[in-house]
Amino acid sequence: MLELAKNTMVEIRIHGRGGQGGVTLAKLIATSRFLQGQSVQAFGLYAAERSGAPIQAFCRYADDTIHNRNLIYEPDHVIVLDPTLVGPGITGGLKPGGWILINTPASPDTFQEQFSSNRLATVDATSIARRNKLGTRTVPIVNTALAGAAVRMLEFNLEEMQAAIEHLGFTGPNLAAAKEAYDQLRTSEPAELQAVTRSKSVSSTGLYHADEERGPSFVEGAGGGLPGIETGLWATEQPHRQQFIPPCNHVCPAGNDVQGFLQALANDDVDNALAVIVRTSPFPSICGRVCPAPCMASCNRVELDGAVNVRQLERYAGDHGRATVEPLNERDEHVAVVGSGPAGLTAAYHLARLGYYVTIYEQGWEIGGLLRTGIPGYRLPADVLDREIGRILSLGVDVEFGEPIDRNRMLELAQSHDAVLVATGLQELQALRLGVGDAEAVEQGIDFLDRSHRGEVRVDGEHVVVVGGGNTAMDAARSALRLGATSSRVIYRRTRREMPAIEEEIEEALEEGVVIDFLIQPITLQLNERDASNEGRHRVVCRHMELGEPDESGRRRPVEMAGSDFEIGCDRVILALGQSPDLSVFPEGTEVRQDQKLLGLLETPVYAIGDFATRDGTVAGAIGSGRRSAFHIHNTLNDIDVPATRQNESSGNVEVWRDEVIQSESLKLHLFERRLPSKGVAVPPEARRATFDEIHAGLTDPREAKRCLSCGVCNECDLCVTFCPEGVLKRVGHDLVFDYPHCKGCGICVTECPRNVVFMSHL
Amino acid sequence: MPTLEGVPPIPCTEECLLRPGNTNCGGCGMGVGLTMLGRALAEAGDTCTLAIPACCGIVTAGAFPTTSYGVPTVATTFASAAAVAAGIATIRDLNEERGQVICWAGDGGTYDIGIATLSAAAERNENIIYICYDNEIYGNTGGQRSSATPPGARTTTTPGGKSEDKKDIMAIMAAHQIPYAATLSIAHPEDFARKLRTAFSISGTRFLLMHSPCPTGWKSEPADSVELVRLAVASGLFSLYEVWNGRAWRINVEPDWTDPMEYFKRQRRFRDGEIDLQATERASRDRFQRLEVLAREFPYKTKEG
Amino acid sequence: MSIEVVSGNHAAGYALSVAGEANRGARGASCGIYPITPQTEIVEYVASFPFHKSRVVPVESEHSAMAVSIGASLAGARAFTASSSNGIAYMVENIMVAGYYRLPIVMVAVNRTLGPPWNIWADQGDTLMLRDFPWIQFYCESNQEVLDTTLLAFRLAEDHRILLPALVAMDAFIVSHTQAETVLPDQPTVDRYLPELDLPHRLRHEDPKTLGGLVWPEVAMSLRQEIDEAMGRVDEVLAECRTAFVDVFDRDPGGAVETLGTEDAEIVIIASSSIATTVREIVKQRRRAGEKIGLVKIKMFRPFPEQALREACRTARKVAILDRNYAAGVGGVFWQETKAAFQGHRDDLLVQNYLTGLCGGDVTPAMVEEIIADVIARSAETKPVWMATQ
Repeated sequence: MLELAKNTMVEIRIHGRGGQGGVTLAKLIATSRFLQGQSVQAFGLYAAERSGAPIQAFCRYADDTIHNRNLIYEPDHVIVLDPTLVGPGITGGLKPGGWILINTPASPDTFQEQFSSNRLATVDATSIARRNKLGTRTVPIVNTALAGAAVRMLEFNLEEMQAAIEHLGFTGPNLAAAKEAYDQLRTSEPAELQAVTRSKSVSSTGLYHADEERGPSFVEGAGGGLPGIETGLWATEQPHRQQFIPPCNHVCPAGNDVQGFLQALANDDVDNALAVIVRTSPFPSICGRVCPAPCMASCNRVELDGAVNVRQLERYAGDHGRATVEPLNERDEHVAVVGSGPAGLTAAYHLARLGYYVTIYEQGWEIGGLLRTGIPGYRLPADVLDREIGRILSLGVDVEFGEPIDRNRMLELAQSHDAVLVATGLQELQALRLGVGDAEAVEQGIDFLDRSHRGEVRVDGEHVVVVGGGNTAMDAARSALRLGATSSRVIYRRTRREMPAIEEEIEEALEEGVVIDFLIQPITLQLNERDASNEGRHRVVCRHMELGEPDESGRRRPVEMAGSDFEIGCDRVILALGQSPDLSVFPEGTEVRQDQKLLGLLETPVYAIGDFATRDGTVAGAIGSGRRSAFHIHNTLNDIDVPATRQNESSGNVEVWRDEVIQSESLKLHLFERRLPSKGVAVPPEARRATFDEIHAGLTDPREAKRCLSCGVCNECDLCVTFCPEGVLKRVGHDLVFDYPHCKGCGICVTECPRNVVFMSHL
Repeated sequence: MPTLEGVPPIPCTEECLLRPGNTNCGGCGMGVGLTMLGRALAEAGDTCTLAIPACCGIVTAGAFPTTSYGVPTVATTFASAAAVAAGIATIRDLNEERGQVICWAGDGGTYDIGIATLSAAAERNENIIYICYDNEIYGNTGGQRSSATPPGARTTTTPGGKSEDKKDIMAIMAAHQIPYAATLSIAHPEDFARKLRTAFSISGTRFLLMHSPCPTGWKSEPADSVELVRLAVASGLFSLYEVWNGRAWRINVEPDWTDPMEYFKRQRRFRDGEIDLQATERASRDRFQRLEVLAREFPYKTKEG
Repeated sequence: MSIEVVSGNHAAGYALSVAGEANRGARGASCGIYPITPQTEIVEYVASFPFHKSRVVPVESEHSAMAVSIGASLAGARAFTASSSNGIAYMVENIMVAGYYRLPIVMVAVNRTLGPPWNIWADQGDTLMLRDFPWIQFYCESNQEVLDTTLLAFRLAEDHRILLPALVAMDAFIVSHTQAETVLPDQPTVDRYLPELDLPHRLRHEDPKTLGGLVWPEVAMSLRQEIDEAMGRVDEVLAECRTAFVDVFDRDPGGAVETLGTEDAEIVIIASSSIATTVREIVKQRRRAGEKIGLVKIKMFRPFPEQALREACRTARKVAILDRNYAAGVGGVFWQETKAAFQGHRDDLLVQNYLTGLCGGDVTPAMVEEIIADVIARSAETKPVWMATQ
């Protein structure tokens, strides 16, 4: 059976890494031969081996007693414990025809060209070791698996090796690993084992060789040389930088780089924060006051101690930052924007920045649309609005006032411009038939707010009932208090959970004394003027509701409860039930599509944007729509493809972009200190219900931004640099620089990155 | 030989204290400590000479004539670090030169074989900083028990787990009434850096005890090194505090009493059934309670009061 | 310069102190000190000396005494210490370090019997235990020789061609505690003899290096070979230091060996330390009586002066070697070394070892006469002869 070993000594050299068990592998092979009656030796080259450092071990066996204590310079076979060690060094002195056994998932043929004069064998001992839980993840102990592979290669019996494994006191998983490797060994032989020139024997010791005859000397000042060890060769894994999409950026309807501006604020750079925002949105001071802030709902910090107060921070950047915006170049094309609400203004802003000549056609005499008429001054003061609109107009945008657009005028605009954007919002108000038609006592919320804005309405001493659950309902109810109402009551047919209004607005309304009744539907209004009572001149007949199955919006549908009718006294009913677009401006058969040219008869690219197209109802949504459409026009007119979707602006050398929203489970939340959000300063409810002055003073400083976890995006916290045990990870400008020739791949930078920016990849 | 007398010492840069290409194991806590030390020296515009007894710290230098250390470094015999450092510091002070003289020693060289030398240097209040990176094991020789090994830990010389408690070296050093003694955790880098700054600003013997994770000896994942010592602080197994002149105490981090099993189960040196969890928790709480009493009764008063 | 009646210890303490003081213009001096009988007076003297730039560090052990001196020396200071017997044994690890670090530290050793059982009297076993270390070793017979040799040892050790530590030994009590007239050179004269120390490999922030880390076999062996070469230059540099000493102090500190009557001696007695004093008087008497007898005093034991010994014994037929030390299982250490020096050169020579005055026994003139009679009568070598103390 032992052709290889008959009457001759067999010598094997093992190349491995500290911690992989190379010396033990030598001892296992030796022991298996010893148990068969042969004379054996197993030894290592001892220095100060460190886990991961390349090491060598040796074993020899023979029928006769071995009388040789020298190193092995010309091995019969070589075993390589780690595929990253495969290179010319492993064949130093190796006899032609000898086996090279490599721990690798690759086929032995892969190496045949490289080692043309040797027989090759491969086995994936690392996977086998990991499967059998031998060693740690980064340093699997592969020796018993390779022992199994080695006996197969050397044409001995598996049982002999298993006996050796047990003889050395190893247990179950090691025996299993040996068997798996024995079974899985793959071999390959060179086409012909021709006579080959033996490669020159390299120093098998790896010891220091002085260039000169005499070595270095203390007394001549030696001892300060730079280390020459490429410890990167010890690594089985290497760290790399990646970037995910933070949830705030992902959900922002305006497409803002939320993480980016928060980090600028965290670094006390408010101007840069504003610069980041105005790349996408011209309205930070406005959104910072009225946005429902889905970013805050999706904020991963909710899992820890509450969302970062992004809304207030955006306001801080808008109110305190300075940013100049300029057209990036000059172009000849002329774009018409119909409507001066947030969508139209945003589109005009981006088109003007791209260099287009833009004219806004506004049917009224003020710019701002609902921003101005639909949002009361205590939430959005006029000077804030004027300032941000001013920034847009400063780009050279023209405005034509008093220009109501009908179907004919639309066709004219389409002919006289290179593109037209229709941003007229939701003009059709949803009515509620209360049985008394156009009774004076019933008014649309939007109209009420507009009249309030213009100072044309008072409701002194009135009991006001507002129907609806959105922001318009809240605004109307709160404005009513400010206009002198004795009581202001909101009735909503679902529950608080389903209310579309901003949570903070609901809270503030309640604080100010607005009463909100849930699960109530108004049925009829009974005019009762002659019978005035304390509860008002009229009565609304209402019915109790309960929640049934979810409707197409996902919310549970309210269902009337029979026989539950009751009455509420009132002087005025304000309807805030939602709106829909007025499509009559377009030729018949026109199809409105989001972010795309209208389908229809017009040749000029015409787009419907903002609420008109999306019915989203938020300023942020209008901003996003306006921006996307602006870029869409730009791309269409130039036949190019500049992405309008938000792009994470990243500073630094991201290697891998993950098109994936990072969730809290991927963060190391325990590494962050708990700190409650800053809310900012609000005027007390008693004081504010008497005035339309702004009720929030905003944040006094941007420290709240430091709570941003910067999910999946490097914010240069440099913990990875701080904790790197080797000093091989450095911050150079915005880049993370890994010194791969020296990185041992320990993975601490990955474990310690709180935001999952560093990951390991197998070599 | 050109003389360079009068030339100020080249400030230590964080690159130069521990150079890449050193021979630490991957994930070595000592490496983290050395880079943090280098950074703190650089930030303070200071530099140092290292006296390192037999331990991984000197093996890290690599083979003569090359070295991973970018500062003058001398290997001392196992028990001699504090004495050799005292000699170096003596001549530095006689010549009114700058630069710290720092002993960088493992727990074996500190708690065990070097304790007489250290004690004597502390008693003489030698003008040195002594940093013990405590990995609770004779790591350089392959993992034998030291008097810093915690109860329950398996080492090659306590194959069934150590039965004795860990020596309270901080109490011993505080009893010498040296100007400053403090514990360090690499998982708390700001606290670490502040204590180094404090140490740099004081004369006399300064003793710093650093909890130093050793993936090879602790049989843990290299990537977990920092997290492990963070858990040790959180669970009260290793406390962060300072002692001035052996007379004033200050606790730096309150443990949140995380379950110590989180710490134990990630290290294969600890085995189920070989740790008395109740006793461990009781000992941790007792130890911390004593510290609290000291910090309350004998508080360290800053200049601000 | 003054002549005083002082002890050997006083002479040694004085020499160490003025040598340290002589480096005050450079990086100063330092030493770790620790008491042990019978050298304690030396470190007491040093501790009370009014240095201008020095710190004497009273440590907790001999091991640390040498460690402090190593640190000070690495920092470029003139460093020294003193010890004896078990103190040296405890210090051994760091004594070795001083040598391999090529630090020109000077240690005065008072030769005392190693215990147990405890015996405080003269025996060279403590320092001869260090014979394989890279240290230059001198054995002195008088207070003056101790003082002179200590000063010379600094100059020799610090020479850039040498850079090895040096040990100056004297017999316990016989020299250390015996008061005798001794010339105590004044500081300016010593300053003229001892240049300021410039240690080329001292620790410098400008040129950071690591001493004492791992070293591979080839390099380690090369460092050993370098030591061997430095040892090979000792004869030449010692001669220069001796000449300079005579120039400055007008007194001969002695060389590696001292001979008397060896130009024609048929019988040569080889001895060291204070035994040589006793032998010298008898050899003088016998030569006056016409006997062809001579004395070789070995003062420098490391490096071993083989060539000088062979030269001194050119005419000899028989050699008697008196050892106040005993290497277990072999015999006297001076005898072994001398025998090896003659091997292949003088295989005709009869070399007989006498173990005399071990553990503090007095080596009397009568004992020396007895030895001379024995060696004259001998026709063959035997195992070392144990000379019973009377």
